[in-house]
Amino acid sequence: MAGLSIENARKSFGETQVLRGVSIEVADGEFAVIVGPSGCGKSTLLRAVAGLEELSEGRIVIGGRDVTDLPPSQRGIAMVFQSYALYPHLTVRENMAFGLKIAKATKAEVDAAVNRAAAILNIEPLLDRKPAALSGGQRQRVAIGRAIVRQPQIFLFDEPLSNLDADLRVRMRYEFAKLHRQLGTTTLYVTHDQVEAMTLADRIIVLRDGIIEQVGSPRDLYERPANIFVAQFLGTPRMNILNAVVADGDQARLDDGRSLALPALAAPIAPGTAVSVGIRPEDVRIGAAPGALPFTIGFVERLGGLATVHLQAAKDSEPIACQLRDDGSLREGETVAALLPPDRLHLFDADGGALRREVRE
Amino acid sequence: MSARRWTVTLLAALVALLTVAPLLWMLSVSFMAPGEAAQFPPPLLPADPSLDNYRTLFGSFGIGRFLANSILVSTLATILALLFTIPAGYAFAKLRFTGRDATFRLLVAALVVPGQIGMLPLFLELKAMGLVNSYAGALVPWLAGIFGIFLVRQYCLSIPDEMLEAARIDGASEGHILRRIVLPILTPIIVTLALFVFLGSWNDFMWPLIILADQQLYTLPVALAAMSREHVQDNELMMAGAVVTTLPVLILFLALQRFYLSGLLTGSVKG
Repeated sequence: MAGLSIENARKSFGETQVLRGVSIEVADGEFAVIVGPSGCGKSTLLRAVAGLEELSEGRIVIGGRDVTDLPPSQRGIAMVFQSYALYPHLTVRENMAFGLKIAKATKAEVDAAVNRAAAILNIEPLLDRKPAALSGGQRQRVAIGRAIVRQPQIFLFDEPLSNLDADLRVRMRYEFAKLHRQLGTTTLYVTHDQVEAMTLADRIIVLRDGIIEQVGSPRDLYERPANIFVAQFLGTPRMNILNAVVADGDQARLDDGRSLALPALAAPIAPGTAVSVGIRPEDVRIGAAPGALPFTIGFVERLGGLATVHLQAAKDSEPIACQLRDDGSLREGETVAALLPPDRLHLFDADGGALRREVRE
Repeated sequence: MSARRWTVTLLAALVALLTVAPLLWMLSVSFMAPGEAAQFPPPLLPADPSLDNYRTLFGSFGIGRFLANSILVSTLATILALLFTIPAGYAFAKLRFTGRDATFRLLVAALVVPGQIGMLPLFLELKAMGLVNSYAGALVPWLAGIFGIFLVRQYCLSIPDEMLEAARIDGASEGHILRRIVLPILTPIIVTLALFVFLGSWNDFMWPLIILADQQLYTLPVALAAMSREHVQDNELMMAGAVVTTLPVLILFLALQRFYLSGLLTGSVKG
C-alpha cells in the first residue's frame, strides 16, 4: 500500500486546458473523492493517474516512486470503469484472472487470488458465467473483483455507480465503504454526485474547470465552504444565496430592503460593501422568534418525512428553500415568520470567496 | 391478413425459383450426353444421366489442376486479406496516431474509383517488380481491400475504449489486446469478411486473366473461359465445368451462412 501525490498536473487537449495545475496528496489508506460538475477535468485527472492519459506537465508519485512515464500496468494501480469494461467473451473467472495470466502467475496463484476476491464480493456462484448473463450490480462487483485481484497499491474508481439504479447505488455505496475498511487500500474515487462524495470520502477534493476549489473532510467542506461554488455544490437542496449590502454594526440590508443580523467576522467589513449571504435550507427556522422576518410560502415540496418549503419575501423575489420535518401544517400562500440564525450564515465577498467568521471556541 | 401473407410467400417462392432454376438446369445439363441440351424444346432432365462430362473434365482436360490452383489462390488471398485488414481496421478505429483520420478519408474516397482503372498501372508496377505470371502478383489486389478495412473499422468502433484500457491496465500489450480481446469480439465480422474475400477471389476473372500467362497457373474461371473458346459446341461439358466452379463456394457459403448473416446484421445495428 502507498500514498499518492499529484504535483502540478496540467493537461491540454489542443487549445483547451482541462487541468490547470492540480496538486493533490492522498495519504496511505485514505479514501479520497474527487467531485465536480461534468467537464471539470476529474476523469482526465484520474486517467492521468492510471497512465491512460499523458500529462502535459506535472508529476505523479505513487508510494514514493515517480510513475509519470510508466505504462498503466506498472504503476501499481487498478481501475474500475463506469461501464465496468468487462471482457464480454470471457467468463467472470477469466475476466478476473486476465491480468494475472498476462503477468505469468502460476495457476495456483491465479486461483487463490480469484477465489479470495470472489469471496470478499460474494460472487462465487457467478464465476463461470459470462458478463451478458449478469445484472448491473453483479457486473459492478466483477469489475471490482478484477481490481482486487491485482492487489494494487491504489484503487481508482471512475464514476462506478452512475450506471446503476438509485436503490442499487445506495447499497453499493455502503459496500464500497465496507470494502475500503476491510482492505484499507488507498483509493481515489471520481464522481459528479455530491452524495457519494459526502458519504464515502475521508477527504473530498472539489474540482472546477481544472482547478481545485477546496480540499477537506466532508464535514469541513459542508460547514466551512471556501467559496459559493463549493457551498452550493455540496448539500441538497443547495445553499440559499442572498445578495446584501453591509450596513452599520452587525446588520446587512437585503435586496428587498429588510435588515438581517450578521455573524461576527474575523475581519470587519466596511459599511456599503456588497456581500452574498448563504444559508443552508435545514438552518432556516420557521416560527416566531426575535429577528424573524415575515415570508409567504410559495411552494411546498413534500417528500414524506421531510418537506422543502420555498419562502418568498415578495411575489417575484427569489425563493429561499427551507427544509424541515413535515407535520402537514404548512400551506401554500400562508404567511409565516422565518429566522435566518446569524450563527448559521455564511458570508461571501463579491468574488464569491468566503469571509471567515470570528473564531469562537 | 392471412391472404396477404400467402401472396408474399408465393411471390418469394417464385423469385427463389427463378433464381435457383438456372443453377438446377446447369446441374441437370452437366449429366446429359453431348448435344442433348441443344434440342428443341430443351429437356429439363437428362434422358440417360452419365458422369462422362466430369470424366472428360478431370481426365483429358485436367480441371483438377485448376481447381487446386483456385483453392490455393483464394485461401491465400483470404488469409493475407485478414492479416492486413483486421489490424488496419482496428488501428483506424482505436489507435491514436498522426494523420489517422485524413488517411482513412483518403482510403474511403478511393473506394469510388472502379477497380478496373487501377489494373493497368498495377500490372505495369508488378511487371517492373517481376511479379507478372506468378501467384504473388495474382494476390496483390487482395492484400488490403479498402472495403474490408472499412468494415472492420466500423465494427471496431462499437468496442468501448474502456474495455481496451482495462486490458492495458491489466498489462496486455497492443498485440495481446488485438488477439485476446478484439479478435474474439470481431468473430462474426471476420467470418463475413473472409467469405467476401474468398468468394471475390474465387470468382475473379479479369485480374488472373491479365496477370497469369502460363496456362498451368490458371484459376478455374480463367481455365473455364479458355475451355469455352475451344469447346463452343459442348454445352454439356461447359455446364459440368460451371458446376465444378460454383459448387465449392456454394457449399462454403451455405455452411457459414449463419455467421455471415449475423455478421452483417450486427454490423448494421451497432455500426
